[in-house]
Amino acid sequence: MSAGGDSSYDVAVVGAGVAGLSAARAAAEAGLRVIAYDRLSPGGQLVNLTRLHDHPQPGMSTEAWPVVSELVAKAEAAGVEMGFDEVTGVRAGEPVVVSTAGGEITAGAVVVATGLSAGRLGLPGEEELVGRGVSTCAGCDGPLYRGKAVAVVGDDDWTAEEALELAEVAAAVTVLVPGEPRWTAHRAGRLAATDHVEVLTGATVTGLRADGVLSGVVVRTADAERTLPVQGVFPYVGRRGPAGLVEGVPADEVGALRTSDGVRTVAARVFVAGDCGAGATQTVAAAVAGGIAAGEAAAAAVRPAAGPGLRIVDPTAGVEPAGTDAEEHASGTAEWTEVALFSNSKPNATELLRGVGERLQAHWELPELGFASKPNASAAADKDVIDWLSQRYKMVLVAVGD
Amino acid sequence: MELEKRGVVAPLLVTSTFLPLVEAQAKARRVTPRVIVVPHPVGGLNEGELAERIDAAAGALLPLADEARGDG
Repeated sequence: MSAGGDSSYDVAVVGAGVAGLSAARAAAEAGLRVIAYDRLSPGGQLVNLTRLHDHPQPGMSTEAWPVVSELVAKAEAAGVEMGFDEVTGVRAGEPVVVSTAGGEITAGAVVVATGLSAGRLGLPGEEELVGRGVSTCAGCDGPLYRGKAVAVVGDDDWTAEEALELAEVAAAVTVLVPGEPRWTAHRAGRLAATDHVEVLTGATVTGLRADGVLSGVVVRTADAERTLPVQGVFPYVGRRGPAGLVEGVPADEVGALRTSDGVRTVAARVFVAGDCGAGATQTVAAAVAGGIAAGEAAAAAVRPAAGPGLRIVDPTAGVEPAGTDAEEHASGTAEWTEVALFSNSKPNATELLRGVGERLQAHWELPELGFASKPNASAAADKDVIDWLSQRYKMVLVAVGD
Repeated sequence: MELEKRGVVAPLLVTSTFLPLVEAQAKARRVTPRVIVVPHPVGGLNEGELAERIDAAAGALLPLADEARGDG
């Protein structure tokens, strides 16, 4: 077992998506002390999907959230501790050192299950347009494009499904395929049967047109280059793995970590699960299977140090240590006149927040309202901002969503 | 939710699509957040539609805030 300190674990899992939660659960069920890190929330890529296609079997589909909830519940039931922090580096050794935004921890073994980054076109000005026309979540942002024209960029089944979901609300959907489609014949048929969906093959996006918000994309095909007037573009290309996260572990051309067998890396106590492994099959079933394999391999790596399988259950596992909760951190000096708004940086969500805040300000006759925001909607809240808000204010109204 | 853990009253103004995300995060963090749910999305709404969302959310927030302050 671990040394039992707050910062020492038998197994640390980087990423709490399908593969990470499966790995963490497998290691915890082997009797080990396990922490699974995620920057924002458990669920990984499923957070951005409304439905899972070809799950639980090819041709079937199911809602994504019950799958996430079940994975989280089973991992927690096995004793997995969730850590909400960004892992910034992993240094192989015995123990493995995991660096996070909040400090370092050590682990007997580490499973890297970060998945791949969001899709990107790799064009100038793209990041500034995220949330203002550039999106990778049809389920989240699709309603913003009701009656508008959008483009979807990619060549796989995910691209096709996102395009079909967008077609339910958008006036026109153009699917820009850099080469030839790799989606199934079934999906090709569904795309072809949707009259306001057009598929352009051999199409490369070479530029973005915008004036604060996206107004079009420049598309080059074999015989021409033209501007396609769209208000939204959904890229499913340019996704990258966590190259460089683990010192000394090589990556392929898209940054996915190389393994000898889908799980083991050149670092003895560092394992890989899910989409972030080079050549991974990007399905839920593969992520679950890969996660379990990586979790079991990690458990086997630390087993000699962990003892012969006798599990002593700490009855306080998962319970917040005394003194770290409200009574210690309470904003004891703040009065009820100290109220702030905390925006997630989505434009209309901020307007909603301000509008509701003004009602409260009038209702309680507050002299003023404080205000803070995250740097962008997909980033975790800055710790310094949380510290400031918790020390300065009695009540903080927080916007979530868009 | 970190704010609630630190003793700050922190109601979450959540659009419906993100409610499952909030619930999963709350479960993992072992907190019970104060949640006000508004229909998704709020982006792309016109002024009147946004005002309706504000009315509905304020209608839920004010009694919640009064209760938290001990007025309820």
